[in-house]
Amino acid sequence: MSGAAAREQAKSSRRTRRILLYVVAILAAFYSFWPVLVMALEGYNIDLGVIFAGRAVAISIGGLTVAPKTIIPTAYYYMQALSIEAYPRLVANTLLIAALSIGLALAVGIPVAYVLARIDVRGKTFISYLLLALRTVSQFVVIIPLYIAYSSLGLFDTYTGIALAEQMLILSVVVWMLRGFFSDIPRDVYEAATVYGKNEWQVFRRVVFPMVIPGVVVTTMFALVLLWNEFLIADTLTSVGTRTVAVGVWEGMSLNQLSFSALAWDSLNAAGTLAYIPAIAAMLAIRKYLAKGFSLGMAR
Amino acid sequence: MESKRWYILFIPLFAVIGFVVVYPVILSTYISFTSIDGTPTLSNYVAMVSTSTFWNALNISLLYSLTSTIVAIAIGLGLTFILTQELRGKGVFEVLYILPLAVAPIVVGVLFSPSSVWDDIQGFLHFVLHQPYFNELVPSFYFPVMFFSEAWEWSPLIMLVALSIVNGTAKEIYEAAELHGASAFQKFTMVTVPTIFRSPVMQFIVVLRFIDAMRAFEIPLAWDNWLGYTSTIGSPIDTISLYLYKLLFSSSLGFPIGVVSAVALTLFAITLVGAAVLLRLLKAVGG
Repeated sequence: MSGAAAREQAKSSRRTRRILLYVVAILAAFYSFWPVLVMALEGYNIDLGVIFAGRAVAISIGGLTVAPKTIIPTAYYYMQALSIEAYPRLVANTLLIAALSIGLALAVGIPVAYVLARIDVRGKTFISYLLLALRTVSQFVVIIPLYIAYSSLGLFDTYTGIALAEQMLILSVVVWMLRGFFSDIPRDVYEAATVYGKNEWQVFRRVVFPMVIPGVVVTTMFALVLLWNEFLIADTLTSVGTRTVAVGVWEGMSLNQLSFSALAWDSLNAAGTLAYIPAIAAMLAIRKYLAKGFSLGMAR
Repeated sequence: MESKRWYILFIPLFAVIGFVVVYPVILSTYISFTSIDGTPTLSNYVAMVSTSTFWNALNISLLYSLTSTIVAIAIGLGLTFILTQELRGKGVFEVLYILPLAVAPIVVGVLFSPSSVWDDIQGFLHFVLHQPYFNELVPSFYFPVMFFSEAWEWSPLIMLVALSIVNGTAKEIYEAAELHGASAFQKFTMVTVPTIFRSPVMQFIVVLRFIDAMRAFEIPLAWDNWLGYTSTIGSPIDTISLYLYKLLFSSSLGFPIGVVSAVALTLFAITLVGAAVLLRLLKAVGG
Protein backbone atom coordinates (compact mmCIF):
# COMPACT_ATOMS: atom_id res chain seq x y z
CA MET A 1 0.00 0.00 0.00
CA SER A 2 1.07 3.59 -0.37
CA GLY A 3 3.11 5.35 2.29
CA ALA A 4 0.27 7.63 3.35
CA ALA A 5 -2.20 4.79 3.80
CA ALA A 6 0.34 2.79 5.78
CA ARG A 7 0.95 5.74 8.06
CA GLU A 8 -2.80 6.16 8.57
CA GLN A 9 -3.14 2.53 9.51
CA ALA A 10 -0.21 2.74 11.89
CA LYS A 11 -1.73 5.80 13.52
CA SER A 12 -5.12 4.23 14.06
CA SER A 13 -3.63 1.05 15.43
CA ARG A 14 -1.58 3.17 17.80
CA ARG A 15 -4.77 4.89 18.89
CA THR A 16 -6.50 1.57 19.47
CA ARG A 17 -3.62 0.45 21.55
CA ARG A 18 -3.69 3.59 23.61
CA ILE A 19 -7.40 3.19 24.25
CA LEU A 20 -6.81 -0.40 25.24
CA LEU A 21 -4.08 0.73 27.61
CA TYR A 22 -6.36 3.21 29.32
CA VAL A 23 -9.10 0.62 29.63
CA VAL A 24 -6.72 -1.82 31.27
CA ALA A 25 -5.31 0.89 33.52
CA ILE A 26 -8.78 1.86 34.66
CA LEU A 27 -9.81 -1.75 35.23
CA ALA A 28 -6.68 -2.23 37.30
CA ALA A 29 -7.53 0.87 39.31
CA PHE A 30 -11.01 -0.50 39.88
CA TYR A 31 -9.54 -3.83 40.98
CA SER A 32 -7.33 -2.05 43.51
CA PHE A 33 -9.81 0.47 44.75
CA TRP A 34 -13.17 -1.23 44.91
CA PRO A 35 -12.63 -3.52 47.93
CA VAL A 36 -11.35 -0.53 49.88
CA LEU A 37 -14.40 1.46 48.85
CA VAL A 38 -16.67 -1.38 49.89
CA MET A 39 -14.99 -1.47 53.29
CA ALA A 40 -15.62 2.23 53.83
CA LEU A 41 -19.21 2.08 52.61
CA GLU A 42 -20.14 -1.00 54.61
CA GLY A 43 -19.08 0.92 57.68
CA TYR A 44 -21.93 3.25 56.90
CA ASN A 45 -24.22 0.30 56.36
CA ILE A 46 -24.30 1.12 52.67
CA ASP A 47 -24.53 -2.14 50.88
CA LEU A 48 -24.30 -2.25 47.11
CA GLY A 49 -26.14 -5.54 46.96
CA VAL A 50 -29.10 -3.83 48.52
CA ILE A 51 -28.87 -0.93 46.10
CA PHE A 52 -28.94 -3.26 43.14
CA ALA A 53 -32.01 -4.91 44.60
CA GLY A 54 -33.68 -1.58 45.20
CA ARG A 55 -34.95 -2.74 48.52
CA ALA A 56 -33.88 -4.32 51.78
CA VAL A 57 -33.00 -7.88 51.02
CA ALA A 58 -31.40 -10.79 52.75
CA ILE A 59 -29.17 -12.79 50.47
CA SER A 60 -29.03 -16.27 51.84
CA ILE A 61 -26.35 -18.69 50.75
CA GLY A 62 -26.16 -22.16 52.14
CA GLY A 63 -28.25 -21.21 55.12
CA LEU A 64 -26.22 -18.13 55.99
CA THR A 65 -27.68 -14.67 55.67
CA VAL A 66 -25.14 -12.47 54.03
CA ALA A 67 -26.84 -9.16 53.45
CA PRO A 68 -28.39 -6.57 55.72
CA LYS A 69 -32.08 -6.24 56.15
CA THR A 70 -32.24 -2.47 56.07
CA ILE A 71 -31.15 0.09 53.57
CA ILE A 72 -30.68 3.05 55.86
CA PRO A 73 -27.14 4.38 55.88
CA THR A 74 -25.91 5.36 59.30
CA ALA A 75 -22.82 6.79 60.86
CA TYR A 76 -23.49 4.88 64.06
CA TYR A 77 -20.70 2.34 63.68
CA TYR A 78 -18.09 4.98 62.97
CA MET A 79 -19.25 7.02 65.93
CA GLN A 80 -19.18 3.99 68.16
CA ALA A 81 -15.65 3.16 67.06
CA LEU A 82 -14.48 6.68 67.68
CA SER A 83 -15.63 6.83 71.27
CA ILE A 84 -12.80 7.28 73.66
CA GLU A 85 -12.46 3.78 74.99
CA ALA A 86 -12.45 2.28 71.53
CA TYR A 87 -10.36 3.29 68.55
CA PRO A 88 -8.41 6.14 70.21
CA ARG A 89 -7.30 3.82 72.98
CA LEU A 90 -6.15 1.21 70.49
CA VAL A 91 -4.27 3.84 68.51
CA ALA A 92 -2.53 5.03 71.66
CA ASN A 93 -1.54 1.47 72.54
CA THR A 94 -0.26 0.73 69.06
CA LEU A 95 1.72 3.96 68.81
CA LEU A 96 3.34 3.34 72.17
CA ILE A 97 4.29 -0.19 71.21
CA ALA A 98 5.57 1.09 67.88
CA ALA A 99 7.70 3.75 69.54
CA LEU A 100 9.33 1.19 71.82
CA SER A 101 9.64 -1.47 69.15
CA ILE A 102 10.91 0.68 66.31
CA GLY A 103 13.14 2.56 68.73
CA LEU A 104 14.81 -0.67 69.72
CA ALA A 105 15.08 -1.88 66.13
CA LEU A 106 16.71 1.40 65.09
CA ALA A 107 19.10 1.42 68.04
CA VAL A 108 20.19 -2.09 67.19
CA GLY A 109 19.93 -1.80 63.43
CA ILE A 110 21.61 1.50 62.61
CA PRO A 111 25.11 0.39 63.67
CA VAL A 112 24.71 -2.89 61.79
CA ALA A 113 23.42 -1.22 58.63
CA TYR A 114 26.24 1.30 58.75
CA VAL A 115 28.87 -1.41 58.99
CA LEU A 116 27.26 -3.45 56.23
CA ALA A 117 27.24 -0.44 53.94
CA ARG A 118 30.83 0.48 54.69
CA ILE A 119 32.72 -2.74 54.93
CA ASP A 120 33.48 -4.85 51.91
CA VAL A 121 33.17 -8.04 53.81
CA ARG A 122 31.99 -11.43 52.67
CA GLY A 123 29.73 -11.41 55.72
CA LYS A 124 27.52 -8.89 53.96
CA THR A 125 25.29 -11.25 51.99
CA PHE A 126 25.51 -13.70 54.85
CA ILE A 127 23.82 -11.28 57.22
CA SER A 128 21.06 -10.60 54.69
CA TYR A 129 20.37 -14.29 54.33
CA LEU A 130 20.67 -14.81 58.07
CA LEU A 131 17.93 -12.25 58.62
CA LEU A 132 15.87 -13.88 55.90
CA ALA A 133 16.34 -17.27 57.55
CA LEU A 134 15.25 -15.82 60.87
CA ARG A 135 12.08 -14.72 59.20
CA THR A 136 11.24 -18.30 58.30
CA VAL A 137 10.81 -19.08 61.99
CA SER A 138 7.13 -19.58 62.62
CA GLN A 139 5.56 -17.22 65.12
CA PHE A 140 4.42 -20.25 67.10
CA VAL A 141 8.00 -21.33 67.72
CA VAL A 142 8.52 -17.99 69.40
CA ILE A 143 5.16 -17.38 71.04
CA ILE A 144 5.11 -20.37 73.38
CA PRO A 145 8.52 -19.82 75.01
CA LEU A 146 7.93 -16.07 75.16
CA TYR A 147 4.52 -16.60 76.70
CA ILE A 148 6.08 -18.84 79.35
CA ALA A 149 8.95 -16.44 79.93
CA TYR A 150 6.68 -13.42 80.01
CA SER A 151 4.34 -15.00 82.50
CA SER A 152 7.15 -15.45 84.97
CA LEU A 153 8.85 -12.16 84.11
CA GLY A 154 5.60 -10.26 84.33
CA LEU A 155 5.86 -9.12 80.74
CA PHE A 156 2.56 -10.47 79.47
CA ASP A 157 0.22 -7.76 78.21
CA THR A 158 2.87 -5.09 78.66
CA TYR A 159 4.15 -2.60 76.14
CA THR A 160 7.77 -3.69 76.59
CA GLY A 161 6.85 -7.31 76.16
CA ILE A 162 5.14 -6.80 72.83
CA ALA A 163 7.79 -4.36 71.64
CA LEU A 164 10.39 -7.08 72.18
CA ALA A 165 8.33 -9.83 70.56
CA GLU A 166 7.61 -7.70 67.48
CA GLN A 167 11.34 -7.54 66.79
CA MET A 168 10.92 -10.86 65.07
CA LEU A 169 8.82 -9.04 62.53
CA ILE A 170 10.43 -5.67 62.07
CA LEU A 171 14.10 -6.08 62.92
CA SER A 172 15.00 -7.70 59.62
CA VAL A 173 12.99 -5.17 57.62
CA VAL A 174 14.56 -2.27 59.50
CA VAL A 175 18.13 -3.53 58.97
CA TRP A 176 17.50 -4.23 55.27
CA MET A 177 16.01 -0.83 54.58
CA LEU A 178 18.57 1.12 56.60
CA ARG A 179 21.33 -0.69 54.80
CA GLY A 180 19.85 0.40 51.49
CA PHE A 181 19.82 4.01 52.64
CA PHE A 182 23.35 3.90 54.03
CA SER A 183 24.59 2.38 50.78
CA ASP A 184 23.00 5.21 48.92
CA ILE A 185 25.54 7.62 50.33
CA PRO A 186 28.43 7.81 47.86
CA ARG A 187 31.82 6.49 48.89
CA ASP A 188 33.40 9.89 48.23
CA VAL A 189 31.41 11.35 51.05
CA TYR A 190 32.96 8.89 53.45
CA GLU A 191 36.45 9.61 52.12
CA ALA A 192 36.09 13.37 52.13
CA ALA A 193 34.50 13.33 55.54
CA THR A 194 37.63 12.06 57.23
CA VAL A 195 38.71 15.68 57.06
CA TYR A 196 36.21 16.41 59.80
CA GLY A 197 37.61 14.11 62.36
CA LYS A 198 40.15 11.45 62.83
CA ASN A 199 37.86 8.74 64.02
CA GLU A 200 34.92 6.93 62.58
CA TRP A 201 32.44 8.06 65.22
CA GLN A 202 32.84 11.72 64.35
CA VAL A 203 32.47 11.02 60.67
CA PHE A 204 29.30 9.17 61.45
CA ARG A 205 27.82 11.72 63.78
CA ARG A 206 28.59 14.87 61.86
CA VAL A 207 28.33 13.79 58.26
CA VAL A 208 26.75 10.43 57.64
CA PHE A 209 23.92 10.38 60.15
CA PRO A 210 22.38 13.71 59.09
CA MET A 211 22.36 12.43 55.51
CA VAL A 212 20.57 9.25 56.41
CA ILE A 213 17.86 10.79 58.58
CA PRO A 214 15.29 10.86 55.73
CA GLY A 215 16.02 7.15 55.26
CA VAL A 216 15.45 6.55 58.95
CA VAL A 217 12.12 8.35 58.69
CA VAL A 218 11.05 6.24 55.71
CA THR A 219 12.11 3.05 57.49
CA THR A 220 10.24 4.08 60.61
CA MET A 221 7.05 4.74 58.73
CA PHE A 222 7.21 1.46 56.84
CA ALA A 223 7.83 -0.46 60.06
CA LEU A 224 4.97 1.47 61.61
CA VAL A 225 2.55 0.25 58.95
CA LEU A 226 3.77 -3.31 59.46
CA LEU A 227 3.25 -3.09 63.21
CA TRP A 228 -0.07 -1.31 62.80
CA ASN A 229 -1.45 -4.19 60.75
CA GLU A 230 0.17 -7.05 62.64
CA PHE A 231 -2.23 -9.48 64.21
CA LEU A 232 -0.87 -12.80 65.45
CA ILE A 233 1.86 -11.78 67.90
CA ALA A 234 -0.22 -8.93 69.22
CA ASP A 235 -3.22 -11.20 69.67
CA THR A 236 -1.43 -13.88 71.66
CA LEU A 237 0.79 -11.73 73.85
CA THR A 238 -1.70 -9.00 74.70
CA SER A 239 -4.91 -8.96 76.54
CA VAL A 240 -7.37 -6.13 76.92
CA GLY A 241 -4.81 -3.80 78.41
CA THR A 242 -2.42 -3.31 75.53
CA ARG A 243 -4.60 -4.38 72.64
CA THR A 244 -3.48 -3.04 69.27
CA VAL A 245 -5.45 -1.67 66.36
CA ALA A 246 -5.43 -4.78 64.16
CA VAL A 247 -6.53 -7.01 67.02
CA GLY A 248 -9.14 -4.49 68.08
CA VAL A 249 -10.65 -4.37 64.59
CA TRP A 250 -11.14 -8.12 64.70
CA GLU A 251 -12.02 -8.65 68.33
CA GLY A 252 -14.22 -5.65 68.68
CA MET A 253 -13.36 -2.23 69.85
CA SER A 254 -14.99 -2.00 73.21
CA LEU A 255 -13.26 -2.83 76.46
CA ASN A 256 -15.87 -5.38 77.30
CA GLN A 257 -15.64 -7.43 74.18
CA LEU A 258 -13.48 -10.47 74.50
CA SER A 259 -14.60 -12.46 71.52
CA PHE A 260 -15.47 -12.04 67.92
CA SER A 261 -19.09 -11.45 67.14
CA ALA A 262 -19.91 -13.19 63.94
CA LEU A 263 -22.30 -10.90 62.18
CA ALA A 264 -21.15 -7.46 63.22
CA TRP A 265 -19.69 -6.78 59.80
CA ASP A 266 -20.65 -3.14 59.76
CA SER A 267 -18.78 -2.27 62.92
CA LEU A 268 -15.85 -4.36 61.77
CA ASN A 269 -15.72 -2.56 58.43
CA ALA A 270 -16.06 0.80 60.14
CA ALA A 271 -13.20 -0.07 62.45
CA GLY A 272 -11.20 -1.43 59.54
CA THR A 273 -11.64 1.80 57.61
CA LEU A 274 -10.54 3.87 60.58
CA ALA A 275 -7.48 1.65 60.92
CA TYR A 276 -6.78 1.96 57.21
CA ILE A 277 -6.64 5.75 56.97
CA PRO A 278 -3.35 6.36 58.83
CA ALA A 279 -1.76 3.28 57.26
CA ILE A 280 -2.43 4.34 53.69
CA ALA A 281 -1.45 7.92 54.47
CA ALA A 282 1.91 6.73 55.74
CA MET A 283 2.39 4.34 52.82
CA LEU A 284 1.59 7.01 50.23
CA ALA A 285 3.84 9.54 51.92
CA ILE A 286 6.87 7.30 51.67
CA ARG A 287 6.22 5.55 48.37
CA LYS A 288 8.77 7.52 46.39
CA TYR A 289 11.52 6.71 48.85
CA LEU A 290 10.77 3.04 49.28
CA ALA A 291 12.80 2.19 46.17
CA LYS A 292 16.02 3.21 47.89
CA GLY A 293 15.06 1.33 51.00
CA PHE A 294 14.40 -1.85 49.07
CA SER A 295 17.69 -1.73 47.21
CA LEU A 296 19.30 -3.67 50.07
CA GLY A 297 22.60 -2.06 49.24
CA MET A 298 22.96 -4.29 46.23
CA ALA A 299 23.50 -3.27 42.67
CA ARG A 300 20.21 -3.07 40.82
CA MET B 1 37.80 1.53 59.24
CA GLU B 2 39.62 -0.47 61.87
CA SER B 3 38.55 -3.93 60.92
CA LYS B 4 38.72 -5.34 64.39
CA ARG B 5 36.36 -3.04 66.23
CA TRP B 6 33.34 -3.24 63.96
CA TYR B 7 32.36 -6.58 65.42
CA ILE B 8 31.28 -4.71 68.53
CA LEU B 9 28.51 -2.93 66.65
CA PHE B 10 26.88 -6.26 65.89
CA ILE B 11 26.55 -7.27 69.53
CA PRO B 12 23.22 -5.53 70.23
CA LEU B 13 21.71 -7.14 67.13
CA PHE B 14 22.82 -10.60 68.18
CA ALA B 15 21.63 -9.96 71.73
CA VAL B 16 18.12 -9.12 70.57
CA ILE B 17 18.04 -11.98 68.05
CA GLY B 18 19.34 -14.26 70.77
CA PHE B 19 16.51 -13.42 73.13
CA VAL B 20 13.66 -13.10 70.67
CA VAL B 21 14.50 -15.90 68.25
CA VAL B 22 17.37 -18.17 69.25
CA TYR B 23 16.30 -18.78 72.83
CA PRO B 24 12.69 -19.54 71.82
CA VAL B 25 13.87 -21.90 69.07
CA ILE B 26 16.02 -23.80 71.55
CA LEU B 27 13.29 -23.89 74.16
CA SER B 28 10.68 -24.93 71.60
CA THR B 29 12.92 -27.76 70.44
CA TYR B 30 13.28 -28.91 74.01
CA ILE B 31 9.51 -28.73 74.55
CA SER B 32 8.84 -30.65 71.35
CA PHE B 33 10.99 -33.51 72.53
CA THR B 34 9.49 -33.57 76.01
CA SER B 35 6.29 -35.18 77.13
CA ILE B 36 3.89 -33.75 79.71
CA ASP B 37 5.64 -35.34 82.65
CA GLY B 38 9.00 -34.03 81.54
CA THR B 39 10.54 -37.14 80.10
CA PRO B 40 12.26 -37.03 76.71
CA THR B 41 10.11 -38.47 73.98
CA LEU B 42 9.44 -38.58 70.28
CA SER B 43 5.70 -38.91 70.82
CA ASN B 44 4.94 -35.34 69.78
CA TYR B 45 6.53 -35.85 66.41
CA VAL B 46 4.91 -39.26 66.02
CA ALA B 47 1.54 -37.74 66.82
CA MET B 48 2.14 -34.98 64.33
CA VAL B 49 3.13 -37.25 61.48
CA SER B 50 0.23 -39.61 62.04
CA THR B 51 -2.51 -36.98 61.99
CA SER B 52 -3.96 -36.43 58.57
CA THR B 53 -4.77 -32.88 59.64
CA PHE B 54 -1.10 -32.02 59.68
CA TRP B 55 -0.52 -33.24 56.16
CA ASN B 56 -3.67 -31.51 54.88
CA ALA B 57 -2.62 -28.29 56.50
CA LEU B 58 0.86 -28.60 55.04
CA ASN B 59 -0.55 -29.14 51.55
CA ILE B 60 -2.81 -26.15 51.92
CA SER B 61 -0.03 -23.95 53.21
CA LEU B 62 2.25 -24.88 50.33
CA LEU B 63 -0.51 -24.41 47.78
CA TYR B 64 -1.49 -21.11 49.39
CA SER B 65 2.05 -19.85 49.43
CA LEU B 66 3.03 -20.84 45.90
CA THR B 67 -0.23 -19.79 44.25
CA SER B 68 -0.57 -16.43 45.95
CA THR B 69 3.08 -15.60 45.28
CA ILE B 70 2.82 -16.46 41.60
CA VAL B 71 -0.42 -14.54 41.20
CA ALA B 72 1.03 -11.57 43.11
CA ILE B 73 4.00 -11.54 40.75
CA ALA B 74 1.79 -11.76 37.68
CA ILE B 75 -0.48 -8.93 38.83
CA GLY B 76 2.45 -6.89 40.09
CA LEU B 77 4.17 -7.17 36.72
CA GLY B 78 0.95 -6.22 34.96
CA LEU B 79 0.64 -3.10 37.10
CA THR B 80 4.30 -2.35 36.43
CA PHE B 81 3.68 -2.61 32.70
CA ILE B 82 0.83 -0.12 32.88
CA LEU B 83 2.88 2.35 34.84
CA THR B 84 5.87 2.15 32.52
CA GLN B 85 3.88 3.21 29.50
CA GLU B 86 3.10 6.76 28.54
CA LEU B 87 -0.06 7.46 30.37
CA ARG B 88 -1.83 10.61 31.38
CA GLY B 89 -2.54 10.76 35.09
CA LYS B 90 0.08 8.14 35.89
CA GLY B 91 0.47 9.55 39.38
CA VAL B 92 -3.19 8.97 40.16
CA PHE B 93 -3.02 5.42 38.89
CA GLU B 94 0.06 4.74 40.98
CA VAL B 95 -1.71 5.95 44.11
CA LEU B 96 -4.72 3.75 43.37
CA TYR B 97 -2.57 0.69 42.70
CA ILE B 98 -0.84 1.02 46.07
CA LEU B 99 -4.10 1.07 48.03
CA PRO B 100 -4.28 -2.67 48.83
CA LEU B 101 -0.87 -2.70 50.50
CA ALA B 102 -1.96 -0.75 53.57
CA VAL B 103 -5.03 -2.78 54.44
CA ALA B 104 -4.52 -4.95 57.51
CA PRO B 105 -4.38 -8.61 56.46
CA ILE B 106 -7.17 -9.47 58.86
CA VAL B 107 -9.37 -6.90 57.14
CA VAL B 108 -8.41 -8.26 53.71
CA GLY B 109 -9.74 -11.60 54.88
CA VAL B 110 -13.03 -9.95 55.80
CA LEU B 111 -13.23 -7.89 52.60
CA PHE B 112 -13.10 -10.87 50.32
CA SER B 113 -15.44 -12.94 52.40
CA PRO B 114 -19.12 -13.31 51.60
CA SER B 115 -20.43 -10.27 53.40
CA SER B 116 -18.34 -7.58 51.82
CA VAL B 117 -17.27 -7.77 48.23
CA TRP B 118 -19.18 -10.86 47.32
CA ASP B 119 -22.66 -9.93 48.37
CA ASP B 120 -22.39 -6.89 46.15
CA ILE B 121 -21.43 -9.13 43.26
CA GLN B 122 -24.20 -11.55 44.14
CA GLY B 123 -26.64 -8.64 44.29
CA PHE B 124 -25.52 -7.37 40.93
CA LEU B 125 -25.71 -10.78 39.32
CA HIS B 126 -29.06 -11.56 40.81
CA PHE B 127 -31.00 -8.33 40.61
CA VAL B 128 -29.45 -6.77 37.55
CA LEU B 129 -28.48 -9.72 35.42
CA HIS B 130 -31.14 -12.02 36.88
CA GLN B 131 -28.79 -14.90 37.51
CA PRO B 132 -29.21 -17.29 40.42
CA TYR B 133 -27.03 -16.91 43.47
CA PHE B 134 -23.84 -18.91 43.51
CA ASN B 135 -22.61 -20.80 46.52
CA GLU B 136 -19.69 -19.17 48.25
CA LEU B 137 -19.21 -21.73 50.94
CA VAL B 138 -17.62 -24.46 48.82
CA PRO B 139 -13.90 -25.19 48.55
CA SER B 140 -13.85 -24.60 44.82
CA PHE B 141 -14.87 -21.04 45.57
CA TYR B 142 -13.17 -20.09 48.78
CA PHE B 143 -9.75 -21.54 48.07
CA PRO B 144 -9.16 -19.48 44.92
CA VAL B 145 -10.58 -16.44 46.68
CA MET B 146 -8.21 -16.87 49.64
CA PHE B 147 -5.18 -17.21 47.38
CA PHE B 148 -6.32 -14.30 45.28
CA SER B 149 -6.95 -12.01 48.23
CA GLU B 150 -3.44 -12.62 49.55
CA ALA B 151 -2.12 -11.77 46.09
CA TRP B 152 -4.38 -8.70 45.95
CA GLU B 153 -2.85 -7.26 49.08
CA TRP B 154 0.79 -7.82 48.16
CA SER B 155 0.95 -7.32 44.40
CA PRO B 156 1.61 -3.57 44.91
CA LEU B 157 4.80 -4.49 46.76
CA ILE B 158 6.02 -6.46 43.75
CA MET B 159 5.00 -3.49 41.61
CA LEU B 160 6.98 -0.99 43.71
CA VAL B 161 10.11 -3.12 43.64
CA ALA B 162 9.79 -3.80 39.91
CA LEU B 163 9.29 -0.09 39.21
CA SER B 164 12.39 0.82 41.15
CA ILE B 165 14.38 -1.71 39.15
CA VAL B 166 13.01 -0.41 35.86
CA ASN B 167 13.76 3.16 36.80
CA GLY B 168 17.27 2.20 37.67
CA THR B 169 18.13 0.51 34.40
CA ALA B 170 19.58 2.29 31.42
CA LYS B 171 17.41 2.85 28.39
CA GLU B 172 20.04 1.41 26.07
CA ILE B 173 18.95 -2.14 26.76
CA TYR B 174 15.84 -1.50 24.71
CA GLU B 175 17.81 -0.42 21.65
CA ALA B 176 18.07 -3.86 20.13
CA ALA B 177 14.38 -4.52 20.66
CA GLU B 178 13.40 -1.17 19.21
CA LEU B 179 15.51 -1.76 16.11
CA HIS B 180 13.47 -4.86 15.48
CA GLY B 181 10.24 -2.92 15.77
CA ALA B 182 9.08 -4.53 18.96
CA SER B 183 5.78 -3.35 20.40
CA ALA B 184 5.55 -1.92 23.89
CA PHE B 185 4.24 -5.21 25.18
CA GLN B 186 7.01 -7.18 23.52
CA LYS B 187 9.60 -4.83 24.90
CA PHE B 188 8.16 -5.40 28.33
CA THR B 189 8.04 -9.17 28.20
CA MET B 190 11.32 -9.70 26.41
CA VAL B 191 13.52 -7.06 27.98
CA THR B 192 11.96 -5.56 31.12
CA VAL B 193 10.73 -8.73 32.78
CA PRO B 194 14.04 -10.60 32.53
CA THR B 195 15.82 -7.53 33.85
CA ILE B 196 13.47 -7.44 36.79
CA PHE B 197 14.06 -11.07 37.66
CA ARG B 198 17.78 -10.80 37.26
CA SER B 199 17.82 -8.29 40.08
CA PRO B 200 18.85 -9.77 43.42
CA VAL B 201 16.40 -7.42 45.08
CA MET B 202 13.41 -8.88 43.25
CA GLN B 203 14.60 -12.40 43.94
CA PHE B 204 14.86 -11.47 47.59
CA ILE B 205 11.38 -9.95 47.73
CA VAL B 206 9.82 -12.98 45.99
CA VAL B 207 11.41 -15.34 48.52
CA LEU B 208 10.31 -13.03 51.31
CA ARG B 209 6.74 -13.12 50.03
CA PHE B 210 6.85 -16.92 49.88
CA ILE B 211 8.09 -17.09 53.48
CA ASP B 212 5.42 -14.74 54.76
CA ALA B 213 2.72 -16.54 52.82
CA MET B 214 3.75 -19.89 54.36
CA ARG B 215 2.94 -18.38 57.74
CA ALA B 216 -0.33 -16.90 56.50
CA PHE B 217 -2.85 -16.71 59.25
CA GLU B 218 -5.23 -13.79 59.11
CA ILE B 219 -6.98 -14.45 55.80
CA PRO B 220 -7.64 -18.11 56.62
CA LEU B 221 -8.81 -17.01 60.07
CA ALA B 222 -11.40 -14.69 58.59
CA TRP B 223 -12.78 -17.43 56.36
CA ASP B 224 -12.58 -19.88 59.22
CA ASN B 225 -15.06 -17.77 61.15
CA TRP B 226 -17.33 -17.41 58.17
CA LEU B 227 -17.46 -21.08 57.47
CA GLY B 228 -18.13 -21.85 61.09
CA TYR B 229 -15.01 -23.91 61.60
CA THR B 230 -13.65 -22.03 64.61
CA SER B 231 -13.88 -24.98 66.91
CA THR B 232 -13.07 -27.55 64.28
CA ILE B 233 -9.44 -28.46 64.47
CA GLY B 234 -8.48 -29.79 61.10
CA SER B 235 -11.11 -28.06 59.04
CA PRO B 236 -10.66 -28.10 55.26
CA ILE B 237 -9.22 -24.62 55.16
CA ASP B 238 -6.65 -24.90 57.91
CA THR B 239 -3.27 -23.64 56.93
CA ILE B 240 -0.51 -24.74 59.29
CA SER B 241 -0.60 -21.47 61.17
CA LEU B 242 -4.35 -21.70 61.63
CA TYR B 243 -4.04 -25.32 62.69
CA LEU B 244 -1.40 -24.32 65.23
CA TYR B 245 -3.58 -21.50 66.53
CA LYS B 246 -6.51 -23.82 67.09
CA LEU B 247 -4.33 -26.50 68.69
CA LEU B 248 -2.66 -24.07 71.02
CA PHE B 249 -5.76 -22.35 72.26
CA SER B 250 -8.09 -25.30 72.42
CA SER B 251 -8.55 -25.94 76.06
CA SER B 252 -10.22 -29.24 75.30
CA LEU B 253 -6.80 -30.60 74.34
CA GLY B 254 -5.11 -29.17 77.40
CA PHE B 255 -2.89 -26.71 75.54
CA PRO B 256 -0.63 -29.29 73.90
CA ILE B 257 2.53 -27.22 73.66
CA GLY B 258 4.58 -30.31 72.87
CA VAL B 259 2.79 -31.07 69.62
CA VAL B 260 2.42 -27.40 68.78
CA SER B 261 6.16 -26.91 69.14
CA ALA B 262 6.85 -29.96 67.00
CA VAL B 263 4.57 -28.73 64.21
CA ALA B 264 5.86 -25.17 64.44
CA LEU B 265 9.47 -26.30 64.19
CA THR B 266 8.60 -28.51 61.26
CA LEU B 267 6.95 -25.56 59.53
CA PHE B 268 10.11 -23.57 60.21
CA ALA B 269 12.28 -26.26 58.66
CA ILE B 270 10.04 -26.70 55.63
CA THR B 271 9.78 -22.96 55.03
CA LEU B 272 13.55 -22.63 55.30
CA VAL B 273 14.16 -25.41 52.80
CA GLY B 274 11.45 -24.09 50.49
CA ALA B 275 12.89 -20.60 50.60
CA ALA B 276 16.39 -21.86 49.86
CA VAL B 277 15.15 -23.91 46.92
CA LEU B 278 13.12 -21.00 45.58
CA LEU B 279 16.09 -18.69 45.85
CA ARG B 280 18.34 -21.14 44.01
CA LEU B 281 15.70 -21.53 41.32
CA LEU B 282 15.32 -17.78 40.86
CA LYS B 283 19.04 -17.27 40.63
CA ALA B 284 19.40 -20.06 38.12
CA VAL B 285 16.60 -18.75 35.93
CA GLY B 286 17.34 -15.07 36.34
CA GLY B 287 21.08 -15.09 36.67
